[in-house]
Amino acid sequence: MTREPRAVVLKRVRKRFRDVTAVADVDLEVHPGELMVLVGPSGCGKSTLLRLIAGLDEPDAGEVWIGDRCVDEVAPGGRDVAMVFQSYALYPHMTVAENLGFGLRVRGAGPAATEARVNEVAGVLGLRGLLSRRPGQLSGGQQQRVALGRAMVRDPGVFLFDEPLSNLDAALRLETRDEIAALHRRLGTTMIFVTHDQVEALSLGQRVAVMDQGRVHQVGTPHEVYRRPANLFVAGFVGSPPMNRLRLVRDREGRLAGGPFVFPGGSPHREATLGVRPEDLTLAVVAPPDPDPNPEFTATALRVESLGSEQRIRLDGPGEAAWVARAPSALHVTAGDRVAVSVAWERTHLFGADGGRIGAAPRPVRGSRP
Amino acid sequence: MRGGGAARVIPLAAAGAAAAAGVLILVVAADAPSRARERATRAEARAAASLYELPGVTEADVLSLLDGRARIVAPEAGGSGPGAHAYRAGALEPDAWIAVEPQGGGSRWPWAASALALLGALCMAGWAAGRRRSPPPPRYPAAPALLCAALFALVAITAQHWSRGELEAISASRVGLGLRVAEIAGASGADPEAAARAAGLPWASGAALDEPDRIWTMPREVGEAIAAGPGLRSAPRYTVVAAGATYHGGTVALDRGPGVRAQTADDTVHLVFLGYEETTSPAVALIASALGSALIVSLVLFLLPLAARPRALSGTLAAWGFLTPAAALLLLFTFGPLLFSLWISLHDWRLVDPAHPFLGLANYRALLSDGAWWSAVRNTGVFTLHVPLAMAVALSLALLTRESRRAVRWARLALFLPSITSVVAIAVVWKWLLNDGYGLANRALGAMGLGPVAWLSSPDIALVSLMVIGVWMVVGYQMVVFQAGLAAIPRVWYDAARVDGAGPWQRFRHITLPGLRHTLFFVLVTSVIGSFQVFGLVYVMTEGGPLGATDVAVYHIYREAWEFLRFGNAAAMSWVLFGVVFAATWLHFRFLERRSAHA
Repeated sequence: MTREPRAVVLKRVRKRFRDVTAVADVDLEVHPGELMVLVGPSGCGKSTLLRLIAGLDEPDAGEVWIGDRCVDEVAPGGRDVAMVFQSYALYPHMTVAENLGFGLRVRGAGPAATEARVNEVAGVLGLRGLLSRRPGQLSGGQQQRVALGRAMVRDPGVFLFDEPLSNLDAALRLETRDEIAALHRRLGTTMIFVTHDQVEALSLGQRVAVMDQGRVHQVGTPHEVYRRPANLFVAGFVGSPPMNRLRLVRDREGRLAGGPFVFPGGSPHREATLGVRPEDLTLAVVAPPDPDPNPEFTATALRVESLGSEQRIRLDGPGEAAWVARAPSALHVTAGDRVAVSVAWERTHLFGADGGRIGAAPRPVRGSRP
Repeated sequence: MRGGGAARVIPLAAAGAAAAAGVLILVVAADAPSRARERATRAEARAAASLYELPGVTEADVLSLLDGRARIVAPEAGGSGPGAHAYRAGALEPDAWIAVEPQGGGSRWPWAASALALLGALCMAGWAAGRRRSPPPPRYPAAPALLCAALFALVAITAQHWSRGELEAISASRVGLGLRVAEIAGASGADPEAAARAAGLPWASGAALDEPDRIWTMPREVGEAIAAGPGLRSAPRYTVVAAGATYHGGTVALDRGPGVRAQTADDTVHLVFLGYEETTSPAVALIASALGSALIVSLVLFLLPLAARPRALSGTLAAWGFLTPAAALLLLFTFGPLLFSLWISLHDWRLVDPAHPFLGLANYRALLSDGAWWSAVRNTGVFTLHVPLAMAVALSLALLTRESRRAVRWARLALFLPSITSVVAIAVVWKWLLNDGYGLANRALGAMGLGPVAWLSSPDIALVSLMVIGVWMVVGYQMVVFQAGLAAIPRVWYDAARVDGAGPWQRFRHITLPGLRHTLFFVLVTSVIGSFQVFGLVYVMTEGGPLGATDVAVYHIYREAWEFLRFGNAAAMSWVLFGVVFAATWLHFRFLERRSAHA
């Protein structure tokens, strides 16, 4: 039962609640059959965006297109979308079978057709034995499957997921994440998945839309979003631990400088921010008789956190703010040690005063502490 | 040791509880004779005074009547001599008081039963003390319970026997006094009726005995039993048991007026004396004592295992101490009256009649064929039909006012006001609004050119009018409850249903109604119970009229009790109503239990 997947297009969509702008002139295009993840911190408007697509809220301005039609005047039930809610929203007074079949029944499907379709979906999701139970008698994971099944039963053109994994425990969350990915591969349906968890977003999404304060800051593949963040917000939000930053100011000779670094060449920017991911720092312990020949800078390890496979080391430099570095667990560092730090410059980022990415930072002319 | 102190309480408590139960049985047993004795002394004084008033009766006759217990006192002295009952002779022109000392004789306290009760209390204490030394829980808890029950039953029977003897002696002495008064009166030339009146006894003469209806204030069965009695016309004394009480009677032959000697049976005046009332049947005493003793034993059995854990014991005792005032209030003012009304419902209990013969379930049986009662029940049922209507209106209003805006909030307040207003005030206002002549409703109709409607004075319309007012009164309250219920339904269910394609009616049918079903049930049950108990509206607005069209159950009970003074019937009706309401409430609780088991 495969269907032609549908595209979802938002054109300058705006939504305000009293004084709060939940969605500000968002343009977004989800390709047919794509798994798109909307990610952002709490209150960034991602769930509102999803509700606008579902038709549960109406936009103040802009248009929502699903497939080849504008659905602004279409009720949620007519939009050919199905939604999985964070709290699952199962009807507590109905059995699992009745919950699954509700969408078909209210559309006037006959009992026999409903039962056949419910059985089919229950078989796929392994819910056959639970059909006569009520939601209150199910575990969280089982409820989640029923919510998924309720969306699948209607075989919609677009699936909408509103943080469906956040009520599950960690192990179940990983498992369900894989299942949703597998489901997407099998059904090939357009899916829009909302989450606040950037790890979930990067691991699940074919493309990721990073949102904050009602705006979409960047849309791209997980690799693009991680490796080429469009601005400081994306850079800070994606990745854990977050990207290290250093504020740079243009000096008298027109060069950007900050901390121990002075970058070559004149810059049109008066101010900029240097961003370096923790894994792009390489550490070596400074042994007094044999100092590292070519360190970018030296710093003191403030704190060492071992995660087993790697360790995270908090440094007191290079500028005012502390940086965090990821290092292999083989490296012997203890708090208070002096470490020499090298930077993989080709993978660094330079952001302008407006937060937008300019490009990678060049190798600085002067690297060590004066 | 703290534990020892607390544990020592148990035998003391057991003995105390047993003693209290024994004393209760004894006091109840001793109470009836003491009150009967008091009544008898007053009757003696009254009889002596009546005799004294008759012409031709001398002071010596009066004094000899009561074996020297009577004194004739000057009017100034008043009738308040110590220990004496006085009656004023000559109601219009008092010329003397007759003071009568209470009768002695007999035993004033059931000593034998008291001794038994004391023995029982000691046994209980000893048993509890023994159990305390060997803490393991008793293997046969029923054995001491049975023993205790048997002992109390023995006490109850002994006390009952004693009480019966006392009452019989008093009754016999009253009958003897009555007969002597009648004889003295007859000897001094009074006519038979005056003699009987002086004796203060119900009476009948000659052939009248064959027509039980003519026998003064007698319940019909008693009159029939006396008329059918074997020794009626010959025996000077006889006893008749009828209608749950024992009646003593006597026969005295009197002259039919001056100079005419009693020659035939028709010249004989029969005095029938209403003897003691057998209100304490032994079965009741036995049941009460068995219940009491079972209570005591279970108390002790409950406390005994705690004796080994003094902290738990003292905690339990303290908890009970705190509970006692509330429990006592509940017993005294809730369960007490409840049981008393059950007791009344089993008797022919009228306010004007001192005798309350036991009827068993006759009051209830009589209800079955009481057309007026069934009409009241039917009216209550019809009135209750306003509940679903009110619920439909309230639910619609709750759905309409779901989005709380300012105007809506005012509307909500206005709708809720009737629920917190006095029923009487509401009823008075509505009575005025619906008045046939000057009522606002009819004037409004008149202004529109429509004829007046007899809102409250037509038997066909009055009940409907009350139902409409009933709807108006409860709608606000129900609406608020529904609003609370609606607020408890998560929005996300509606979101899910909308995405599933359910329209407004389907969302109402599949989300709102199931989500509200507990609220609906709660409102239904409480409103139906409230509707069964409707009284104020009827009492103020229609007084059950017109033609009994609005006579509802509670109002019917009220009239039965306080207008016709038939408490027995009224109590039986109350218990039928209680049964219905109780069943409704029980169903409600069963439902709630099932619900919590599901959740």
